[in-house]
Amino acid sequence: MTRRILLVVLLMATSGGLTACRKKGAAAPPDALRNAYDSEVDWNDPQRVIPLGYEAAQGKRIFYQQCVWCHADTSPAGPSNRSNVSPTPPLFNDGNALNRESDDFLENIISLGGSAVGKSAMMPAYGRTLGQEDIRSLITFARAIAVPPYESPKNSVR
Amino acid sequence: MPAEDMGRVSRRLRVVFASSSVIFVAALAISPVKDLRQEWKRYKRDYVRFAQKRPDTKRLLEDFHSGIDQIWIPDLGVVDRCTTCHQGITQPTLGGASVPEPFRAHPTIPHGAQEWGCVVCHRGQGLATEVAEAHETTLAWEQPLLPVHFIQGACGSCHREGLPQTPELNRGRLLIEELNCEGCHELEGPDRPAMLGPDLTNVGRKVSRKWIYKWLKEPRTLTDANGNTTVDGVETTEEPRMPKFRLSESEIRALSAYLSVQRAKPLEDVKFDPRLVAVWSKRPDLIDRGELRFRQMFCSTCHALAVTRAGETKLVGGDIGPELTKVGSKVKPEWLAAWLRDPQAYLPHSEMPRYGWSDEDLFEVTQYIQTKLTDPDLLSDVPRLGAPTVEEIELGRRLFLEKGCASCHVVEGLPAPKDFGPDLSALGAKNVSQLDFGTSTIPRNLISYIQAKITDPLSVNPAARMPQYHLTPDDLDAVTTALLGMIGTPASSGMEKLIVPKREPEFHPLGEFGRVCERYKCYVCHQFDGFGGRLAPDLSYEGSRANREWLIDFLKNPQTLRPTLVLRMPQFNMSDHEASVIADYFGTVLQHDQVDPASVERREFTPQMAALGKELYEVKYQCQACHTLGATGGYVGPSLSDAGDWLTPAWIEAWLRDPQALVPETIEPRRAFTEGEVQALTAYLLTLRNAPGQHVPGSGGGGEK
Repeated sequence: MTRRILLVVLLMATSGGLTACRKKGAAAPPDALRNAYDSEVDWNDPQRVIPLGYEAAQGKRIFYQQCVWCHADTSPAGPSNRSNVSPTPPLFNDGNALNRESDDFLENIISLGGSAVGKSAMMPAYGRTLGQEDIRSLITFARAIAVPPYESPKNSVR
Repeated sequence: MPAEDMGRVSRRLRVVFASSSVIFVAALAISPVKDLRQEWKRYKRDYVRFAQKRPDTKRLLEDFHSGIDQIWIPDLGVVDRCTTCHQGITQPTLGGASVPEPFRAHPTIPHGAQEWGCVVCHRGQGLATEVAEAHETTLAWEQPLLPVHFIQGACGSCHREGLPQTPELNRGRLLIEELNCEGCHELEGPDRPAMLGPDLTNVGRKVSRKWIYKWLKEPRTLTDANGNTTVDGVETTEEPRMPKFRLSESEIRALSAYLSVQRAKPLEDVKFDPRLVAVWSKRPDLIDRGELRFRQMFCSTCHALAVTRAGETKLVGGDIGPELTKVGSKVKPEWLAAWLRDPQAYLPHSEMPRYGWSDEDLFEVTQYIQTKLTDPDLLSDVPRLGAPTVEEIELGRRLFLEKGCASCHVVEGLPAPKDFGPDLSALGAKNVSQLDFGTSTIPRNLISYIQAKITDPLSVNPAARMPQYHLTPDDLDAVTTALLGMIGTPASSGMEKLIVPKREPEFHPLGEFGRVCERYKCYVCHQFDGFGGRLAPDLSYEGSRANREWLIDFLKNPQTLRPTLVLRMPQFNMSDHEASVIADYFGTVLQHDQVDPASVERREFTPQMAALGKELYEVKYQCQACHTLGATGGYVGPSLSDAGDWLTPAWIEAWLRDPQALVPETIEPRRAFTEGEVQALTAYLLTLRNAPGQHVPGSGGGGEK
């Protein structure tokens, strides 16, 4: 039994060690998908690695395909497209902008586009490109990486 | 025995009988008590208590029963009792971290537990009813759970084709391919390609013995005094494809001797016009012309160069071919000219296109490479080697086979040794008892074993021939994930039905287009029906997309459609005839069913429609967020400045209706345009044309913008 516990501790230590060895990442590195899929380096603090659950990890994958272009400071092609879009879209981890919006609102703006919810038409509608699961996983990812951190309404009520 | 004694004895016996009966009854009672205290029953009781505290108690306890729950799928041989304790996995209200394990709901995934069971993906022991036995390696139950971090490996056991949902697995498989693991190991997956490492039959004509010595000592990688790993003086996290073998000084001398005498075929002698050479010696500025041509031809699309900007040195360019920062100090001048003129004459399997060269261009570019892409100190630390001796050559030949060089490289037609390294095609299914940990002190599990084997083979087996790899932790995990997915034919009988085979697309056009395509190696960067590289746009339906005249123009003077791209289509200097052969082939063969030119032929695109389309483009849908017109707009999608020249009307309409139907991986979102909007936007896009004469031929020279 003690050996088993020792083994688990050792395993955790190795995996912890591996995570700690991660190369220092710049803010939203363009090759973020090359890093571990189930964690994301905090965009504001390269030392902090945020673990992602299944949903958030799927959200991360879709984010780096579809959203990274306008909602991050760098894109897979190098420079971000944010500067070409006005009003400037919020960064995906911008808790100040996104934490106050409900999951339903975010689902609507992604699915129906900005103009449908009274925001910029530059945000296209993704409801016919992404499934509902995809969109929800994107929101889970945004919540996971939010700075300041996101607190779900359920938790704050309790 | 006297009769009076019998009573006494029997009384003692009665006491013995009485007490043993009591003990017996007590022992019988232990069994039901023990049964009541079984681990899984505790979880059952805990779940009821947990459910009673929640508002949706009734629904949570609807299917509850007090015995062992089990998912039984005879077809797959699945008998999973995991739901005995994990009772909430199908309850939609029990999602999220606030619900304690083991009651938390499973995230929604394409495979439901009732259809697939748990062990198919998570491994472990479905039959076990104790926590430790179900999850860990015990004496009786060997298969542990697959840690969630490596779970995509389990997807790979059935899905031989990459899935979008499994980036980690896909990357691991790609790394295994790039690192040429299949040179020595039997792996699950596609057959080994024709060429893993370069064919060395003629390598003595390409490089010197000194260079081979240097390469074998530090294959491309140099480690400085501080222990930083650099590639040709440039820091990188990429693992070079050629790993470092543990070779002694005498072995390196022998191998370099053997390889330096490999000169089976003479090189084509490229003779430059003496006048050209004479002019060159008087005009040092011509070096810049060579550099300009090098850039204009976009060699950087496949080959990286180290570039120093603002004190920071990094590699800029693609990784299809080797990086060339110091290649001028590596290869012999006569080889370089012959190679650039006809790469396949030296390496028949090479992916390098055969460019059309004028003598002048070829001379200038080779001069540029030999003068500028050099490092005088590259070979300065190589000792004096002298001429190769017969003994060295003989020893080198033996080492070439013994060390496994022949697994990836061909010399004098030596065949790759069979089963050089262990068969890994069922590695992921190995039990711990089947692994030889040697004297190493790593944790006794498959994952630690795999990772130790890759990062430090000698720690597990001091006699290992395997070279050492220096992968980043993330890359190591990705490779481990892919290896864990290789479980051979699944043990359970029904499983092989589940395997989704990898599609093995082929694209081998014949005739004149086939020859042109083979010359310019279109498929190294472009996809044709799933065959080919992914660097450049998918051309499967290019004939439906692009107008013929535009295509010919583009092939002769490629300009990028995407302003941010560093890697661009090279300037091949192809002839008019070749360009029209390609355009004709595309126009007749590479067609998409949903793009029907007849449907738009009779349609009149009026100025009113175009005006409405402009309004839709600029105001309602604000396409400028992602597309450039002239100098303004976003650069996520291609520039539409000359959409009317470039795209066919039928393609524009079909694309606006459903982009993913034409290019499944495109990130352009599918919108809910009305039919009228589709036609108006098409009318507008068709008005976007380059004014005649304004066409800027391949501006080049930019490299990176």
